[in-house]
This record gives sequence, structure tokens and C-alpha cells, in this order.
Amino acid sequence: MSGPENSRHFSFDLSQDLTRAADALKDIQARAARSSPMTGLPPVMFGAGGPMLKQFDESTASSRKGSQAPTPPKSVVGIGNKVAKPDYSEAKIVLAMVGLPARGKSYLSNKLMRYLKWLEYNVKVFNVGQLRRSRARQKALQSGVREDHTASYFSHDNADATRSRDQLASDSLEMLIQWLKDGGNVGIHDATNSTRNRRAKIEARVAKEKGIVVVFLESICNDPAVIAANVALKVSSGDPDYNEFSREEAERDFLRRIREYESVYETITEPHLSYLRITNVGSEVTLSRIHGYLQSRIAFYLMNLHLKPRSIYLSRHGESQFNVEGKIGGDSMLSPRGMLYMKALPALITDNIGDAPLTVWTSTLQRTIQTASELPYNKLTWKSLDELDAGVCDGMTYEEIEEAYPEDFANRDDDKFNYRYRGGESYRDVVIRLEPVIMELERQENILIIGHQAILRCLYAYFHDLPQADLPYVKIPLHTVIKLTPKAYGCDEERYTLPIGAVDTHRPKPKHTQPEKLVAKTSREYYAEQA
Amino acid sequence: MAAPLYTTASGLLWHAGKILVITIGLPARGKTHISRSLERYLRWMGVKTQVVSLGDYRRKTLGGAQKLPPDYFTLGEKSPETIALRKKISDGCEQLIWDFFAGGGQVVIYDANNGTQIARHTLAEKFHKAGIHVVMLETMCDNKEIIETNIRSVKISSPDYRGWDPDKAVEDYYSRIRDHEKHYEPVEEKTWPFIRIINVGEKIMVNNIQGYLQSRIVFFLMNIHNRFRTIYFARSGQSLIEHSYRADSDLSPAGWEYAERLKEFVLERRAKSLEQKGINAKDRRLVIWTSSRRRAHHTAWPFLAESKNLPGQHAIPTRLAANTSGVATPQASGGGPSLKVKVVEKTQMSEINPGVWDGLSPDQAKKYYPAEWDRFVKDPYVFRAPRAESYHDLCVRLEPILIELEREQEDLLIIGHSSVIRCILAYLIGLPASEIPAIEIARGDLLEVVPASYGVHSQAFHFWDGPGRRGAVETEDANNFYENYAEDTKGKRRVAVPNAEIA
Repeated sequence: MSGPENSRHFSFDLSQDLTRAADALKDIQARAARSSPMTGLPPVMFGAGGPMLKQFDESTASSRKGSQAPTPPKSVVGIGNKVAKPDYSEAKIVLAMVGLPARGKSYLSNKLMRYLKWLEYNVKVFNVGQLRRSRARQKALQSGVREDHTASYFSHDNADATRSRDQLASDSLEMLIQWLKDGGNVGIHDATNSTRNRRAKIEARVAKEKGIVVVFLESICNDPAVIAANVALKVSSGDPDYNEFSREEAERDFLRRIREYESVYETITEPHLSYLRITNVGSEVTLSRIHGYLQSRIAFYLMNLHLKPRSIYLSRHGESQFNVEGKIGGDSMLSPRGMLYMKALPALITDNIGDAPLTVWTSTLQRTIQTASELPYNKLTWKSLDELDAGVCDGMTYEEIEEAYPEDFANRDDDKFNYRYRGGESYRDVVIRLEPVIMELERQENILIIGHQAILRCLYAYFHDLPQADLPYVKIPLHTVIKLTPKAYGCDEERYTLPIGAVDTHRPKPKHTQPEKLVAKTSREYYAEQA
Repeated sequence: MAAPLYTTASGLLWHAGKILVITIGLPARGKTHISRSLERYLRWMGVKTQVVSLGDYRRKTLGGAQKLPPDYFTLGEKSPETIALRKKISDGCEQLIWDFFAGGGQVVIYDANNGTQIARHTLAEKFHKAGIHVVMLETMCDNKEIIETNIRSVKISSPDYRGWDPDKAVEDYYSRIRDHEKHYEPVEEKTWPFIRIINVGEKIMVNNIQGYLQSRIVFFLMNIHNRFRTIYFARSGQSLIEHSYRADSDLSPAGWEYAERLKEFVLERRAKSLEQKGINAKDRRLVIWTSSRRRAHHTAWPFLAESKNLPGQHAIPTRLAANTSGVATPQASGGGPSLKVKVVEKTQMSEINPGVWDGLSPDQAKKYYPAEWDRFVKDPYVFRAPRAESYHDLCVRLEPILIELEREQEDLLIIGHSSVIRCILAYLIGLPASEIPAIEIARGDLLEVVPASYGVHSQAFHFWDGPGRRGAVETEDANNFYENYAEDTKGKRRVAVPNAEIA
């Protein structure tokens, strides 16, 4: 423990630094107080616009340097800095799917992958069917032998094929485990894993790995309509297994394949396994031996899903005064053109949605509340939907920021997702803040969100599974309604732009080339075929 | 209590309807612990929730066990008098439940054994007919240790055993359980949605649970545990610009000293408390959560330095250490290299955002925003200054943190901001929302909170008196007053810092 003399001595010496800082502060405040009565506005104490922040940073430079002990924590100057990703290295999960074909396994794995990736977990789906197709294709290329992958291949009586399928499942598990060891967080083993025997093998294999746990996720569906829709989707989705088949033949064969699985299918009853069972997505969930934070989040997420058809409408507020002036942040009211948008919006929405129920969500900022004011629907205000907080840069134009802090400004463009404004937020912070909103969105039916550029970028990225690097550059123009309709493997999108002029607030990524055109994925992908 | 995202016209939340949670389980299986935790959590979310405890009601109306007929707790043949007494109690509880729903309540947790299928089914049926969603919550426990601990720490201190010899009381309680066991029917019926918790969260089974509030309940229950651990709270050290949120400034020299002192004090306290429990400190990791504000995670830095056992682990700047050589000799302290520590930055834990009032002194705020100032002073929990967060907003933001807090099994030190500590403490202790803004959290106090069966034990220790303990003392506006309103108005809206045990 440091004795009292020591600390007194230190504080005496260091107090000079503190005095310097305090003096600068007083000076700044006095000046602010002098200047403000003129405008009638309160002084902005620590914006990056004026000279104060720099003056302050300079005044404290010595005490800051003083704190550079052995491995110094990072200090603050300027308008912000890049923030490292939180450490998720302790999360290592094998999520093994269980379920008959056409029971929505791939739907659930995709949905989960999208959610967890959005939360920055490293997630990968290892689809055994795709591995099978890719290997068969290679074999066909090399030796010219085409394997028969019709229903008889999936028969339990077909000993050769059964062995080969076992091999595929275990190879794919090996790949998955290796990937987890290389830094993955959640590896989804997307296969039928329909027998106790197969599950026991997976369990035994994973048990050999320290720090990796296995959770089974069984999807049961006994709604014939949903199964029929899944079968139809499978047959029409361009599944390479059915390349040379007519639709009817394909469907017949696929139904036979399901029957082959049904004959040996054993639902999870093993009491010692950690599992989640989803029956008819949204109606029943069973959890057993679910440990761990990430696992409980996965369970909570799955409990909130539903399959009812609905649409999510995203719109920014109408053009605001700050938009016109090119300033970021703030809490300004709408511009005259923004008011036109506000007036035109109700007709656009009502035309589109008809009599269906709809709830409108806005942020707590005036421009979104004003934009929603004429909509004849139930409205809710969310603090979590407020615009990304630009901290010390709030209320400035990009030009002003660039002029005052050219290096920091370039720094932000370098890695916009991870850049946190001093006293404000990064895109990552916004994603974390929006997580409860996403959870609520999954539960709801038709929702219209009147939001802000950065907020809608994050939400949009969730629905379209966009990578983080591209997220801050998604184009969400003013005076445009984006309609997202969730489908089995992504979202359909329509955009309605009202012919009301507005400034363009999109700043493309400088220096580098534009990100490739973002293609929303709405159909199932057969990765192997694209390779 | 604290954080509804929105309310419906009826004053209920989430259109979730009314819910009756019926607990099922043998005595000493943790029903009360789970019921109380759930009540605390739901109230925090703003759901009007009430635990109706059959045991408490019986003690209140009939008195302790010694005043009861001997066949009261046996489930077999009973005298007509006993049957009448028991009926009086269960009818009384039922009436309490109806009353709470009628008075606008949303969730009732009926804390009783409800051990027979027919009894719980009849009860559920009645409420179901009135449009109330029924959820069965069964707690099972096959871990003898948990049961024994529960009996010793909770049951025999109940008024039923006032004046008893502890071992006799335990024996008597076991015999009470045995009587129940003979007649206990575990939930096998699938008529009602049900949740089964085994060994306080070791395993959880959920069937046919639908609805948002219900899934939230499950999520919460998945994350609770009853492992012994301590939660410490301390404010971050003084920063160079105390009164600005936006400036996000570095620690001041006094702040660095504070950080060092905090490390020493926490390690000392923790060593003592672990020793008392007979736990080897080396087996336990200390987890530190800070916000992503610089002054908060910089305050945690000495812990990291300690755990890495770096030379010159003293956080006092090396430059100055050199200047004052002969005086400054960093002392080796408590934990040594064996300290296992993990520091996590949580972005949700930033202090309350003062919006347009950032950097202003109270006088300036009053001058420029007179109307807002009045409303703020009237109700500092609900009022949101322009672009600021209200305490209510802050509570909503902190909700995911509470779940992680429940989940955490290790000792936890939260180095935070007074507004954030206030909200989390209010959750743990179960204070009403309106009191949150008035809880004084002085810099230089370490708050120690130990979760126990019926709530928490909390204590405050004073360990630092340097500059920045109370900002207002030094210069008029060295504080972010929005954040530190409670300290600035001391006396006016004061709620004592929880010093005594709170059961």
C-alpha cells in the first residue's frame, strides 16, 4: 500500500498539471459565458468545432504523458479513435442441427447465423448436403463417375451409401472443429443428425476438445402446409441434386428421401444432451441442459421467431434543417421539403399495406416524431432508435470536421465501423444498442420504422446479412421507403422513392473503390456450385 | 420498477396479458429464491408483479408453526379443523391473487408447494377462465447440498423455528419435507405451459411457452444461479474534465492515485471475504466490468498491471516516480502475480447522457432551459432533458447488463459512473424507480453486495478521501451535475447508502 507521504508527494507534484487543466477550463468557460449572451444559446463547451477542445488537449498533454506507465492505456485526443472488437474467444460452440428434411433446419441455421454474425460472433454453417454435392462433383470431374444421389442413396438399407454419408458427416464435423480452433465461435453442423447413434458420435468427438461444447437444435414441424411449402421451395430452388429432373420427378424423389429418413428418425430423448427443440417455429420450445450466456441468447432468440408473413418498412425522417445545412447529429426540425415528405407518407404507406395492422416506431428526436405525425397508426417512441451519437462532432459539417481534424477524419474513413467519436458512439456501439430492437422486431408483425441513416443501416444489414465493413456505406436515401419482406432465406426488398427532392447525405468511402454492389441474398445458396 | 420499453392503454406491458406463475416443488427447493428474483427482475422492467407466498400468509394469519395443529404439514389424513385451517389459508392466498390482478397487476407468482396435480389444476383452471395466462414453474433439486444449505441458511431462521436448537430445527424441517414427498406429484401433465428448473438453473426445461414476457422469464431463469459470489461497485477515478460527458477525458493525476488505491482496497476486502468463506482466492477469477468511457477503463488498469505483475506496477507515472526518487517506492501489494483478472468493457455502461446540458453548470442550465430545469427537479427519474437520457432510458439500456450480471459466477467489480451504479444497485436491492436518482454514490466508497436467498446483503466501505471525492466541494461546477444530481443535492432527496443488511 502506498503510504500517505507518498501520495501527498505525488499529488503535490501532479497538482500542477491539474491546475493547468483547471485554468484552461476556467478560461474556456469564461469565454463561453461571454460569447453566449449575444446568441441567446447556451455555450457548447466541448464541441470539436471551436478551439476549446484542442486547447484543452494541449493543456493536459503533460499529465497525459505522465500516465504512460509500462503498458499505458490509450489516451484521448482529437475527435475519436478506432475501438477493438470485444473478445469473444471464449465462446466455442458446435450447434448440431437435428431434423427431417424440409423441417426448416437450414432456415433456422441461416437465421441464427445472420443474428450472431450481426453481433460480431464468427459463425459458419457446415452443410453436409453441400459437402456431399461438392465431393460428388469433383469425383464426376476427375473420374467421370456420377454418383446416384436420388432417394435410394439415403436409404438406410443402402450400406455403401450409408457408410459414405457417415463419412461425410464426420468429415464435415472435423472441418467444423478445425474452424472453431482457428478462431470461430459458433459452427453450425447443418445435417439431419437424425439417429441417436449419430448424435452420440458427435457428442463423443466434441468431448475430446477442451473448451468446445455441443448443443443440438432439433427442428420439428408437423404442419403439413409448412412442410409442403418447404418441399416446394427445395424443388424449385435450383438444388443441383435435381438438375436434370422435372419438377414432379424431383418432388417425388425428395418425398421418398424424407420417408427414408423418417423410417430411422429418433427424436432427441437422450436426457444428458444439451439441446433445444423448436416445434413449429414460434409455437413451442423445449430447452434442456442449456448452459452459458451465448446459448441462452440463442435460445431466447429462437423463442422469439415466428413465420407469419409480414413486412418491415424502413424510412428515414424527412429532410431536416441540419441535412440542408450539411450538419450531422443535432435535433432539428424538418425542412420545407421534409414537411412535404411528412404529408405524402401516409398515402404511400396506406396504399401499400391496405387494411393490415401496422405499428410505427420512431426515435425520440423531433425529426422522426414530426415525420410520423400524420400517420394514422399506433406509434411508439424508442430511445434506442436515436441517431448515432457523434460526440464532440455533433452539429458540425463534415467539411468542418475535416478542416479541424484532418487526420482523425481520414482515420474514421479507414474503418468506419469501428471508429468511435469522442464522447459518442461507433457503429458497433449502435449495433449493440439495437439488439433489443431486433429481438422485438422478430416478434412483431408489420412495423414501420421512421429512423436515422446510421440506425437504418444497421437494421438493414441485419436483414440482408451484410458484412460490417460495408454496413456504414449502405445507401439509405432520404424520402424513400424500403419495404423488407422476410422470406425463407433472406428478405425481398422493394423501394418506393417519393418525388420530393432532398439533399444526398451519403458519403461514399473515399480513396478506395466503392464496395461491390451489395446483392441481397433472398434465395438459398448452393455454395459448392459457385465454387 | 424501472424499465418498460412501452406501455399499452391498459397500463400493462407488451400486450402480454396477465400471467399467473404457479410454483411447484417440495420445500427447500429454492422456490422462494427463484420467485423473489423473478419478481425483482419483472418489477425492474416495469411489470407490476407480486409474489404471493403461502408460507408468509399462513404465518401472518395463523402464526408460527408452533401454533398449528400437529397434522398441519402432513398431507395424509387430517382432522376437520386442520382441513378448515388449510382451506382458509389457500383461499386467502387465492383472494390476494385476484385482488392484485383486479388492482391492475400483471404478473403474480404464487409461491407455494402446489404439490398435487388436482390442486394446481383446479387453481389454474379458475384463473384461465378469467383470461389469465397460467404458467407452471416447477423447481426440482436432487443436489442434497443445495437442499441442506437452503434449510440451514433460510428455513430454520424463519419464525416457525424461533428459539429452536438449529440441528433440531433442521431435523424437524426434513420431516416436514418427507411428509410432502409422499404426496408430491411432479408435473407430468402437459395441460399448461410449464418451466422446470433443476438445481437452481443447472438444467431448465420449457414446454409450450409462448409470449414475450414468458420468453423473457425463461431467458432470465436460464441465467440465474446461486453460487456464492460478491459484486463490488466503485466509481471511476476523477477525470480531467469532470463536468463534460462529451469530452470523454482521461483520468486526472488524482484519478490515477484513486485507481491504485481502489485496486489495493478491493484486493484486501476480497481476500478477507474469500477467506471467511474458506475459498482459496487463487481458484477464483476477479471479473471487472467498466464502461467504454476512458476514465472508467483506465481506473481498472492497475488491476491489469497487477495481474501481469509488471515492474513499476504503481499506476503513478514513471516520469514522476523518477522525479521523486527516494520517496516513491512502489509497494508490493495484496494479490501478487496470482491475481486472475479479466477486464471487460461494456458499451452499455456509459453514464447517463446529459444531452444539451453537457458541460453546463446548474446555473447555466437553469438560465438557458428554465422550463426543462423545473421539470427535471420535479421528477429526475422520468424527465429527459433535450437529447439527454432519463434515468428510465438508462435503465432500459442497462437491461442486458442485468442479465449478464445474474449470469456471472465470478466475483465482479463494476467500475462505473454514479448514474449507472445507482440503477444496478436499485435493481439488486429492489428500490423503487423514483428513488434511483437520489441514491448517493460517493467516489471513494466501495460498495459490496452479496446476493443471498431473499435478496442481497450490502455494505459500503470508505477508502479514499482525495480530490474528486465530491466534485462540488472543490469548484462550483467541476461536476456533471446531471450525472451527480444526488450528490449535489445531498440531504434533499437522500436515501441512505445501504449500509446495513437488507434482507
